[in-house]
Amino acid sequence: MSDIDRAIEQLRACRPIPEHEVRELCHKARELLVEEGNVVTVNAPVTICGDIHGQFHDLMELFRVGGDVPDTNYLFMGDFVDRGFYSLETFLLLLCLKVRYPDRMTLIRGNHESRQITTVYGFYDECLRKYGSANVWRYCCDVFDYLALGAIVLGASNTMPSTTASPLSRDDVEVEVHSSDGRIISRFLRHQDSSENQGRINGGPNGIPSDSSDDTPTTTAATTTSTAPTLTGPPGSGATGSSSGSLGDPAGAVLCVHGGLSPLIDKVDKIRLIDRKQEVPHEGAMCDLLWSDPDEIDGWGLSPRGAGFLFGADIVKQFNRKNNLSLIARAHQLVMEGFKEMFDASIVTVWSAPNYCYRCGNVAAMLELQEDAGGLGVLARSNGDVNRSDGGLAGGAASWGAAGQNDALLPTKRTGPGRIYHVFQAAPQDSRGMPAKKPVADYFL
Amino acid sequence: MDPPPNPPSASRPAPSSSSTAPSPPVTSSPLPPTIPSSSTSTTPLRPPSPRLTLATRTHTQPPFLIATRKLPILKAGPIEALQTRLHLPAIPEMIFGDNLVCIAHPRTGWSVSFSAEGALDTVDKTGTGEMLQVAYAREWSRSREGQQVGVEVVRRYDWSYSAVYKGDEVRAAAAGGGGGADAVAGVDRDGKGEQPGMGKGLVVDETGKTEIPIELLKRRDPILFADEVVLYESELDDNGISAVTVKLRVMQERMLLLCRLFMRLDGVLVRVRDTRVYVEFGTEEVIREYTAREDKFENVKRKLLMSGLTPDGVTVALRDSNEVAPLLPVVERTVESLCLADKS
Ligand SMILES: [Mn+2]
Repeated sequence: MSDIDRAIEQLRACRPIPEHEVRELCHKARELLVEEGNVVTVNAPVTICGDIHGQFHDLMELFRVGGDVPDTNYLFMGDFVDRGFYSLETFLLLLCLKVRYPDRMTLIRGNHESRQITTVYGFYDECLRKYGSANVWRYCCDVFDYLALGAIVLGASNTMPSTTASPLSRDDVEVEVHSSDGRIISRFLRHQDSSENQGRINGGPNGIPSDSSDDTPTTTAATTTSTAPTLTGPPGSGATGSSSGSLGDPAGAVLCVHGGLSPLIDKVDKIRLIDRKQEVPHEGAMCDLLWSDPDEIDGWGLSPRGAGFLFGADIVKQFNRKNNLSLIARAHQLVMEGFKEMFDASIVTVWSAPNYCYRCGNVAAMLELQEDAGGLGVLARSNGDVNRSDGGLAGGAASWGAAGQNDALLPTKRTGPGRIYHVFQAAPQDSRGMPAKKPVADYFL
Repeated sequence: MDPPPNPPSASRPAPSSSSTAPSPPVTSSPLPPTIPSSSTSTTPLRPPSPRLTLATRTHTQPPFLIATRKLPILKAGPIEALQTRLHLPAIPEMIFGDNLVCIAHPRTGWSVSFSAEGALDTVDKTGTGEMLQVAYAREWSRSREGQQVGVEVVRRYDWSYSAVYKGDEVRAAAAGGGGGADAVAGVDRDGKGEQPGMGKGLVVDETGKTEIPIELLKRRDPILFADEVVLYESELDDNGISAVTVKLRVMQERMLLLCRLFMRLDGVLVRVRDTRVYVEFGTEEVIREYTAREDKFENVKRKLLMSGLTPDGVTVALRDSNEVAPLLPVVERTVESLCLADKS
């Protein structure tokens, strides 16, 4: 058994490895990462994960549900550390797996992979506590500087592979939500070309109005709010109320980045020009990629905080069109359902820390993109005209109703890669090996 | 000595969906109609759902009734509904919108309750007040000068979620008491304006004589009921923290509730805004004290360093409102009182 395999075994048991081994590991990792570009190319199939934040036992649950490394090809979109109690074990294990299986594990940088942030939010303290010095923290931070800023997923299928489990033709399925035991919780079918749907109230993902050009925000908000409960069944299912009309390239690639877009970056190639091997700066394109958020606004907005960008649907759609992307996957924001598609499914937030901070009670998700076997993605069957007069508010539900009614073969615009969201919950409390805290009478004043 | 039945640090595994109530906490019992069903994703007038009822713990310390409720953060749908009701452009990412703490006096219908919605309702929604900026805002915007993108600040509001929250009071029914339950049942969070002047409510103490009897609270009387309930928390996009938490402890003769906003904007400002509600069960007296403290981040840091802490120790202390609060100057303080006994 090699050293690295032994380290993996030890870390899987949530036991830190000795300081000199960390130094060696970080050194190897840096040698490996320095060869990677700012934007790593990854081929489907791949399972894309969001924030982990030191929740080691939940990462084990993620591997249990999503498949082990190297059987499953993983892409983690940053924020491995801080907040949780096991940032160290979490990051070191991911790093070991990266070194051991470089082609099956992609790690990109989150805004928490920074010296400044980790001193405030816990990773620094944890290293100090577990090793008695800041050396290990320093080794890790040096690795952070080498992490890629983004990834491009190529070859994702926009059909679901047929399985015996499905009574439907899986060609028409665009989104599936799976529970942690592999059951299909819900499923959403593809829509037709969105140009037919202009002017309707679009019950967008998570009930958020997405065709903002057509409706005043108040109307759509009211409508979608009232319909949201009917769409929100199992965790995350409401998040895909409608996925029609992504305006990117349906056969295009998927861009993965921790935060979002930057006004300084209109082409993916511009990300490649950044000098990334440094602490995350407080400004500039690199900062934006790790910090910015999509929001229901037009164009670009400056956060009221005085720093940081917000970007609207038009920005995402334009960017996707210009770069032949079908989807942007990002992390960075907590979502109760584990994932949240926005802007006609042109961008999705994936969150992989269940019961965040051990008290939010949220579920987590990972996004599986499958391999395009036949390369026939662009031309495919339509499920016909689906209740366009319903104001679109039924979204996925309408597609359900129409399934099987209309098998006419029509050319249809593919709206994005087939997306399987695996939703999972926090690992059981007792698996953490933490002694249950004796309640202490708190005589606060 | 009874320990508090539910440790504040207890965290439950996530329920699989909204229909699955988390395992009911220790002393849970059906929710009596006197607890306002506020703040939830459902319409205010609807009675609390079984899910909410199951998650509610109640404790009766005659003639008062105390209830607390803890549930996971809200899902996307309820979050949007809440945002719409509040007219806020954004709300904290950890929003415990179903959580509730309530002290009620069923005989008169008086109550004071604490919820995320109530707290957020006190946040500046239009940005007309002082707009805080993160420490590196100037550096950030300077670096953007001369860029082709004309970007405006969107969504002006108090993004630090600095609530000025004293709880939502429902006044007692008109003199004579009775019918209290009727008066409160179905009253939503805005019920405070429901019957102005109709019955007794908290009144600001102008004499300056009323004080919460701290010495009595320092006694180690057995705690019969205690809880800690988070209403919301935001990481301010990793620029600090803003959180509102309610703690309470009930002893045989009296109880204390502390609702605290802790807002730390790194490198800029630290705020602690405390609302304490003290109840003396025998005399049916209620005292509510609001104390706002704040200081520049630098000053707080200096005081912590001068107290002998290492730089690392300072970082840790800055996360703990209990460490920080005593260092902050008081910028506002009010005391209100109320006696619910029949004789007065
Ligand atoms: Mn992040």
